[in-house]
Amino acid sequence: MFKYQFRWDTVWGSFDFLMGGLEMTLIISAITLVLAMIGGLIIALLDMSRFRVLRWIGVSIGEIVRNTPILVQLLWVYYVLPIVFGIRIEALVALIIGLALYQAAFISEVYRSGIQGVPKGHREAAQVLGLTPIQSFRRIVLPQAIRMTLPPLASNFVQLIKFSSLGAVISVSEITRRGMELSATNFRPLETFTFIAVVYFFICWPLAMGIRFWERRLQAR
Amino acid sequence: MSGTPILLADSVTKRFGANQVLTRVSLPVTERDVVCIVGPSGSGKTTLLRCFALLEAPSEGRIVMQGVPIATANPDRQVKSAARAVRSDIGMVFQHFNLWPHMSVLENLIEAPMLVKKMPKDEAIAIAEGLLKKVDLSDKRDAYPARLSGGQQQRVAIARALAMSPKVLLFDEATSALDPELRREVLLVMRQLAQEGMTMLVVTHEMGFARHVGTRTVFMDRGEIVEEAPGASFFDAPKTERAKRFLQQFEDE
Ligand SMILES: Nc1ncnc2c1ncn2[C@@H]1O[C@H](COP(=O)(O)OP(=O)(O)OP(=O)(O)O)[C@@H](O)[C@H]1O
Ligand SMILES: [Mg+2]
Repeated sequence: MFKYQFRWDTVWGSFDFLMGGLEMTLIISAITLVLAMIGGLIIALLDMSRFRVLRWIGVSIGEIVRNTPILVQLLWVYYVLPIVFGIRIEALVALIIGLALYQAAFISEVYRSGIQGVPKGHREAAQVLGLTPIQSFRRIVLPQAIRMTLPPLASNFVQLIKFSSLGAVISVSEITRRGMELSATNFRPLETFTFIAVVYFFICWPLAMGIRFWERRLQAR
Repeated sequence: MSGTPILLADSVTKRFGANQVLTRVSLPVTERDVVCIVGPSGSGKTTLLRCFALLEAPSEGRIVMQGVPIATANPDRQVKSAARAVRSDIGMVFQHFNLWPHMSVLENLIEAPMLVKKMPKDEAIAIAEGLLKKVDLSDKRDAYPARLSGGQQQRVAIARALAMSPKVLLFDEATSALDPELRREVLLVMRQLAQEGMTMLVVTHEMGFARHVGTRTVFMDRGEIVEEAPGASFFDAPKTERAKRFLQQFEDE
């Protein structure tokens, strides 16, 4: 090990190739976050529905997704869905669907705790003043809930950046996959994967710190 | 004191599961009355007030406003629509203020008039500014609730209730959550309202307020009205043993 000759130039030589992969990673994460926010809202609404069947569906989706490994879900979406529906799904689409479904299950909980985190007294004050339940939800509950859910949603984005590396397994050409391809040709896994880890770290770490700061500011209000 | 009461609890019983919290409570409130409800902790004062505020439905009995039932155990369509119609005629001030923290003081005051009464914004603002002046908080117009002291928050909450021009105002221990030195400013506002003829139903541990401002004192214990007397006479000559024992704990005040 101590005799090892570092050859960082093999990484610099493919810098553009790897950065193209990073771009993919960030685009996948952003698209997935948007889909997961919508999916999470649907699951949350199912969970809180008045109808038992809908509640049952919402709870089932949430429990299944939260209690199976994300890699297995990805493989399932990529290999099983095409068999069931008789269609071909591109790896990129499968990755986005799989990740979005996974994050949606967690985001639905974020929404739920945001809504339930608004004290009952705030709604009662609105009720006594004559606001309808819908007015009270729209004007009193939702604005407060959204404020509370923004930091957790941002944390979900950080998580997605990391989880999207699983796309490498189904050959989606994001940064981790490109690293695997590069190290297979330059025979320099140490330099290649160290560089990639550093790239992930310096994107995720500042974001995570920023979110922590943001949450503390919200709590101080 | 004449004619039909403006608000009336008519033999109201309230149960939470097996726990009977109110037992056939009847209480008429006439116009310009300031009814003070006192009693030990857990005696059902808050629950009774919440029934008046239509936040809890009675298990038996009725809440009646100006002769019209607005809450019953099994409200039919007529009762429900009557309740909607008088909803904002009954205002309530809570122990913990319940101001909306994401809105400024002014926004807290104009929200309900604009949404419920469809009042134009400038008219709602004009009324709100008048009310803020009345509770002596004109300079806090654009502040957020978290920046205010408890006493200031409660005065905003009173102004918010007044913005709907209610016919009756309910107070549930409006000063209990406040430090002693902040209670006075809230009690002064309440006293002023009483002098202006506001009909009030006041659950309180402030015996001074009940004695000097209340027109009637109602003593509750274990879900029942045990004793009821006009003005100060409840304090000077309590009739029941339970009331005497209750009053003893305030003797050194
Ligand atoms: N939502 C509820 N569910 C179940 N029990 C309740 C509920 N609200 C009140 N109770 C019970 O009803 C009883 C009366 O409570 P209530 O709050 O009306 O008393 P109180 O006279 O206002 O007391 P305090 O002076 O402590 O405020 C208590 O035993 C309480 O535990
Ligand atoms: Mg109480």
